[in-house]
Order: sequence, then structure tokens, then C-alpha cells
Amino acid sequence: MTTQTQTRGSALLLGKLARRPETGSLIGFVVVFAFFAALGGPVFMGAPGWSSWLNIAAEVGIIALPVGLLMISGEFDISVGSVVPASSMITAMLAGHYDLPALVAICAGLGTGLLIGLVNGLLVTRTTIPSLIVTIGVMFVVMGLTLGFAVLIKGSTSVSYVPDPTTKFLLGQFINNMFNVAILWWLGFAVVFFYVLHISPLGNWIFALGGDPESARNAGIPTAKVTIGLFMASGFCAAFVGVAQVMTYQQAQVAGGQAFIFNSIMCVVIGGVLLTGGAGSILGILLGTLTFAVVNQGVFFAALDPNVGSIIAGALLLAAVLSNDTFRALALSAAAEKG
Amino acid sequence: MKLTKVLAMTAAVAMSATFAVAQDGGPNIFVIGGKPDDPFWSRVKLGAEHAGLVAEMHGGSVTWLGPQNYDNLGPDAAELIRQAIDQGADAIVGPDWVPEAMDPAFEAVVAAGIPLVIYNAGGIDAADRLGAMNYVGAVDYKSGEAAGVYLAEAGHTNGACVNTLPGAANIEAFCNGFNDGMAAAGGTGSVLQLPATAFGDSTAVAQAVRAHLLQNPEITAMFAIGDQDTNATISGIQQAGKTGSVHVCGMNFNDSILANIQAGTQACAIDQQGYQQGFFATSILINHVQYGTTIPTREILTGPGIVDASNVELVIAGVQDGAR
Amino acid sequence: MISGLLRRPAAASVLSLIGVLAFYVLIGGVDLGTLFSAASWVNYAARIGIVALPVGLLMISGEIDISIGAMIPAGAMTTAIISGHYELPIIFGILGALGIGVIVGTINGVLAVRTNVPTLIITLATLVGMQGVILAGSKLLTGSASVPLTTPDWAKGVFGQLMFNGSHQVLIVWWVIFAVIFWFILHQSRFGNWIFAIGGDKVSARNAGIPVDRMTILMFIGTATAASFVGMCHAMQFNSAQVSGGMNDIFNIIVSVVVGGVLLTGGFGSIPGVFVGTLTFAIVNKGIDFTAIDRNWSNLIIGVMLLVAVAMNESFRKLALSAVSGKAGSSTQNAPRGATTGQSAQ
Repeated sequence: MTTQTQTRGSALLLGKLARRPETGSLIGFVVVFAFFAALGGPVFMGAPGWSSWLNIAAEVGIIALPVGLLMISGEFDISVGSVVPASSMITAMLAGHYDLPALVAICAGLGTGLLIGLVNGLLVTRTTIPSLIVTIGVMFVVMGLTLGFAVLIKGSTSVSYVPDPTTKFLLGQFINNMFNVAILWWLGFAVVFFYVLHISPLGNWIFALGGDPESARNAGIPTAKVTIGLFMASGFCAAFVGVAQVMTYQQAQVAGGQAFIFNSIMCVVIGGVLLTGGAGSILGILLGTLTFAVVNQGVFFAALDPNVGSIIAGALLLAAVLSNDTFRALALSAAAEKG
Repeated sequence: MKLTKVLAMTAAVAMSATFAVAQDGGPNIFVIGGKPDDPFWSRVKLGAEHAGLVAEMHGGSVTWLGPQNYDNLGPDAAELIRQAIDQGADAIVGPDWVPEAMDPAFEAVVAAGIPLVIYNAGGIDAADRLGAMNYVGAVDYKSGEAAGVYLAEAGHTNGACVNTLPGAANIEAFCNGFNDGMAAAGGTGSVLQLPATAFGDSTAVAQAVRAHLLQNPEITAMFAIGDQDTNATISGIQQAGKTGSVHVCGMNFNDSILANIQAGTQACAIDQQGYQQGFFATSILINHVQYGTTIPTREILTGPGIVDASNVELVIAGVQDGAR
Repeated sequence: MISGLLRRPAAASVLSLIGVLAFYVLIGGVDLGTLFSAASWVNYAARIGIVALPVGLLMISGEIDISIGAMIPAGAMTTAIISGHYELPIIFGILGALGIGVIVGTINGVLAVRTNVPTLIITLATLVGMQGVILAGSKLLTGSASVPLTTPDWAKGVFGQLMFNGSHQVLIVWWVIFAVIFWFILHQSRFGNWIFAIGGDKVSARNAGIPVDRMTILMFIGTATAASFVGMCHAMQFNSAQVSGGMNDIFNIIVSVVVGGVLLTGGFGSIPGVFVGTLTFAIVNKGIDFTAIDRNWSNLIIGVMLLVAVAMNESFRKLALSAVSGKAGSSTQNAPRGATTGQSAQ
């Protein structure tokens, strides 16, 4: 008798696990990793391989976290693509061109991200313009301002800056000459966002916003403040990536950063966040980011044409979303059974 | 509505700050070039604008026309050339990036009796073929070739060209030149191609370079185009632990690149002297329209020049001005 | 009568156009004569306009297609590779370009209909996938990322030449033809009613007997094929095709459609609006070249004008809704979601 209950118990547990949306993301990650490990051999499996895609994951991951939260609450942020170069230019300009102390420059760079996020949030909450359009418009505005002021002040589109040892240690160094310290920052951000989404009441508010903003507002949730806060978070994180890039590569460029827009959305969607809002998890976003990074980097180790990587990424995106779809349907049906 | 008004007014104020009147009396030169946030082309633009001070002295102007991006290089540039004709240009400076797409537009310029100078791409052949007055510039292919020859002759005979903008004709020319230069000096060349989504992302480039080097340990030389890609390549080499065994030449440079050369992490930089291209091409036409002068030396090469440890100090001063 | 005109969805986009022109003339010092005789912005408008029309239809029905960014170069490269590199007769190049549009559109449409995956993600996947396919295919088949093409005169005359010995491309004529066709579909035929109904509430539409699935697939085929058609014409016009990511085209087309008064959530919009929105965006983009304003600020102008134009659209739409329905203007959701209750308008 006991053995039967035991097997049934563990079957139930497996079933429960299988229906969690993150399971789909985890399976995706394992499949993709195995595929590239098989092709890439020992180099990919070793530390150089790990650090290679972890470095990519860290950068897009820091941006994917708040973008994911925004999508859970039902909004988009396209402007991240322009915040990264804007903040890196401001930091490099203040510290490199004007020789201000690094801390001041970094605060200015991060502050830029917060400011742009605030503008996004205000425009989205004060007007009925959809966030997709607002953030596209803000993206153009920021791109224009960055280029215009760069040439006006510096006379060129790039600024170089060699950070002092402390700053470089904190923001721009490679541990063991392989692992970018950004990976640690990414994990730190993940912990913070995990707390926000899954432990603090703010998380419930975000899910509620994504599910039905009207009811959320009626239930007394300060929807405007939450939305503005989320946009400021994504601006901050994008600015952080920009600052870290300056410290790592010792220069800032006006162009660049566009890749983060769709890459971060891909990470989030592969991670199981519903585009229509209202569902998702930090763990899922992390797994989605890892999967995306493995595909992106794996092609170089596998001696495949990198454009094959694009095809794989596209197919992966679809597969991930389809499987998430199925898992979610399973989960919903299981919940319905119990109820 | 209030917010709308605020937005509109901010825009108006910002614009009037940079507003300048377009003159009618003197030579109105139109210069077609790359996109404004491209570090190389911003120097070309600066050169053209500095030459434009002379045009303004005569009551004329220099107008810069560039595409929004490089997705559709030939057609976009051809459209801009025709737009310059429509806008009443007295003379036109243009690069012959994609001859099949742009030649008809250039022919229209000459057919309209507008003086033309080809610069940056196409070579004296393009100028001859199209009936342009001069060719000013380096030839992309030759610039890549110079880098290939330099590295191969220094003993680094297996090279890879980092291409982050597949499809752009000028980048393809750089890489072809590099590989041919390597081959000519007894080495072998290849291309490390990145997907279009990696453009502008230093980390993606660095990681790709690093992965490629780890999987292909026989590579001893690399060629990257542009300051951002070159710095990312150097970082990638560092992360692969191959500083000192893989040598890098870059196309164009800025103060961080010169610092690299000084520090020994970069072997050389190829200088197209973009500032000179913009400056001279525009000046030739300003003086021609104003005074009817010509420069009989029809091919004016501004590069390739090689900046390496032997002459880097001299170059650093020019970079401060944004001119080099 | 004026208030009636103001309530039409296209009204706001017309005002945006006037506002943009006013800005450039008053602040930028643009000479209207020079601007209107120039062809560059009209050519540009035709290029994005032909794709914006079916995208507008699709957005009115509540979906979105961003794979068009990769389909434009796909059409160009297909034509160039078939007829330029392999030197087959141009008719095969034309069929190839249109064919690839139909194939990708069908994939998009079937996925949209058979799964619950939002179309933004489906088309993001096909966008990324097609970017890879184009570049890999080009390198594999021709060894380079740009391919030259010579077109026989008859094809060039129909698809890719300049008219009136001037700078205007024949693509403009195609744009106008397509605009008329799409206007007829959306505003004069029952298909239009169906599209508005699907955008309003998909479930009710299906219950009412509208063949939602078939319409959706057809519309996706429309967007993808229109994009590859534009690419094909460009390849013939400029005798060459180039691989590209097409990212900028995506934003430009969406902006044109939204400035034209189409609601992102579906159920509202008009073809005249999309047409005028395209013109407005083209002038915003290209008009700066006619001023003395430094090019470096061009993106700033584009962004500000986009925000202002869309804000105006929103205000006018609210006016229109409150007047038409007679009830207090209902606040509609902002973020793209599944089924929302929008209002269908003529």
C-alpha cells in the first residue's frame, strides 16, 4: 500500500513540476546546451565556453529583467536600445572629457536612465498612447539628443575613458580574465527583482496590472506609480549596462544598443512571459536569457555559419513560445480540475 | 493636450538654437556621405563643414546628406544624389559605394551640368567612367590590403577579418582586400562574419572573436573595421588569453585606438584620413564653382596610411581636435 | 460639417501633415516649391507606403507583423539571385520574390491562427529566422552579401524605372494603385466590415460566421508579399540587392500606420489615414535635408514629431468616439492585448 502511495506521490510531484511554466524554459535550455555541446566539443564545455555565453547573458539579462516585469504588467519598452549608448556617452564624457570623478559620472549616467524611464512612464500613464509607440518615439528622441550633443560638445561620435582601478574592478573587469564582473551584477539584480516580483506585494500589483488594469485600479492599486516605477527600473538597468560597457571597453559610442531591444524581448518570451501580460517569473526570464545566450554564442564554437544561429534563434523562439503555450494550458486545466 | 503643447514648444526652441539660414549667393555644395553617428563619417562631415566655412564666406553653404542606416546603402545613396539635384545643388560630392545602383544617379548629375567629385569609394575608375572632375580618397579594397600585407609581413600569416555589417559593399571590400593582402604576402585570410543583430554590440563582437579564436587556434592576425569593433576585438583576444600571440590592425582610429597602439595591444591602424576626404573634395568644388579652378591631378589619394608604434605620438595631437 | 470631418479617423493624420509642413517651413526655412518638386520623399513614401497599407489592415484586425523588415530585402535578394546571379529570365525572379512573400505570409498566418502565440512574437521569430536565411542563403549561393542585377526593359518599365525623365519612381504609381485597391477592400466591401469586426472582438466575429482564420492568413500573406514586392521593385530600379537587417523599416512602417490613425489594439483606422500618415512620416524623415538644421538632430525631430502626431491622433479619436457613440468616451486599453472592445468606424 505504502509503495503505491509513494509512487503516486512522486508522480503528482513530477506532474506539478511539469506544469510550471519554467519547466518549459528549463527543457529548452538543456536541449539547446546539449546541441551546442555536441557540436562545439570540449572547448565549449570548458570554462572559456561557459564564460563566453555567460558574459553575453549578463548584459542582455540585466535589461531583460525589468523589460520582463514591464511585459508582465502589459507594457513594452523599446527605448532601452537608445538608453544604453546615451548613458555610456554621458558617463564617458563627464569622466573622460571633463575629468570629473568617476562616481559623479556614473551617477549622471544612471540618472539619465532614470530620467528617460520617468519620461516614458509619465507619457504612458498621462496619455492614452500605447507604450510601444511612446517608447519608439522616446527612442528616436534620445538617439537624436545623444548624437547631437556628442558632436556639439566633443566634436566626434565616440569618447574614450580609462577608468581608475577601483571603478574598473567593480564594473569592468574580467575575473580570471574570462568572466565579466557583470555576471555578478546580473545575479544581484535578479535577486532584487525576484524579491520584488515574487515576495513583495509589489509583485501582486504587477501581475494584477497585467491581467486587468481597470480592476487593478479599482482595487486600489496605485497603477500609475507602479508603471512609472517599472519604466524607471528598465531605464536604470539599461543605463547600468551602458556604464558597465564604458568601464569594460574603455570607450563609448553614439551608435549601438539597438540589438538589445529585440534581444531582451526574445529572452523574456523564451522565458515564458506572456505577451498579453499577467504571467511570468524571474526564474523563467533567467532561463530564457541563458538559452538565448547559448544559441548566440554556441554557433561560433560549433563552426556553424553565424546566420544559421539567427535561423536557430528564430525557430527556438517559436518552439519556446509554443511549448510555453502548451504548459500553460496544462497548468490552467490542472488548476481548473482542482477547483 | 497640454503635454502636446509642451513637447511642440520644446522642439521649436531646440531647433531654433541650431537654426542657420541657407544662403543663395555663393556656391551651394551638397555632400553625400555615411550616417551621422558613424565615427568615421562624422570626421568626413567635419572636414566638409570646415571647408564649408569658405563657402559661407562667399555666401554659399555645404549641406550634408546621409542615409538613416546602412540597410539599403546603394538605393538610399542614389536617392540622396537625386535629391541633391532637386534641391538645386551647384556641385555634388558623392561616394560610389554600389556602382550598379548609384551610377545612374551620378550620370544624371553630370547630365544636368553639375560639377561632380567622387570620393571615398570607387577610385579614379569611377571618376573617369562617370565624368567626374576628381577622385578624392582611399580605396577601401586597398586599405584592407595594406592591413593584410602589414600583418603578414610582420610574420602573422593566418588572418581573419571581422565583419559586423554583412551586406554593406564597403565592408565587403575591406575584407576582400585584407584577405588578398594576406595571400599576396604569403599568408591565408578568412572572414569572421557576425549576424546583423550583433552590430553595435561590443560584447557580442568580443565574445564572438574570443570563441572563434578558441576554436581556431591557428589564427594569428585579425582585422576589424571601426573603432568600436577594433576595441571589442582586442577585448575578445584578451579574454581568450591570446594578447601577444594574435595581432590586430584596425580600420580608422580614435584616441582609445592610439592608446592601444601605444600600449602595444594593437599592431596598427589604417588611416583613410576621412577628414581630408571631406575637406578636399568639398574645397575643390567650392573653388571651382566660385572661381572656375580645377585640380589637374585627378586622383587624390588620402590613404591608406598606416599608424603604428613608430608614428603614433604624432597622430595623437590631431585626434584631440576630432580631425584624426 | 467641420466637426463631422474632424471625427473621421484620417482627420488627425491630415492635421499632423499640416503641422509637420508648418514646422519645416516656419522653423526650418524650407521652400515649399523645392520640397514639392523633389522626388526623394515621395519615392520613400511609396516604399514604406506599399507595405504600410496591408500592415494597416492587419493592425485594424488586431494583429501585427514585424517580419516585413526582413521580407523587403528577401524579395530584393530573391529576384537578384534568380535573375542576376543565375541569369534566369526575369519572370522567374518576379515569381520568386512574390512566392517567398506568400510562403512566409502563410507561415505567419497559420501560426497565428493555430496557436495562441501573440503575432508580435510569431513575426519576431520569422523576422530573426528570415534574416538568417537571407544572409546564409546569399553567402551560400553567391558568395557575397550583395548581388547585382540587370533587368530587361519591359520589366524595368513596369516595376523599376524613373518617370517623366525625372526622379519620380514608377513605384509611386503602384502605391497609388494599391491604395485604391485597399481602400475599396476596407471601406467598400464586406471584407472591410469583417476586418473591423475581427479587430473589435475576435470571438464575436467568429460566432457571427466571419471566416476569421482565412482572413487572418490572407492578411499576413498580404503584408509579406507587399514587402517582398517592394524589395523586388527596388532591386530592379537600382540594379542591385543587398542583405540587411531591415530593423529601421519596421519602426518606420509602424510609425506611419499609427500616425495615420490606426489603433494598435485594433478595430479603428482607415486607408486614407494610413496614406496620409505615410506621407507625413516621409516628409518628417526627408524634410530635414531641405533645412539648414544639422543632420545630427534628425532623429530628435522624428521622435518629437511622432509623439506629437500620435498625441493629436488620440485626442481626435476620443472626440470622434464620444460624438459617434453618444456615450461618455470609454477609455480603451493602451497595451496590446488579446480581445479588447474597440469601436468600428467607417
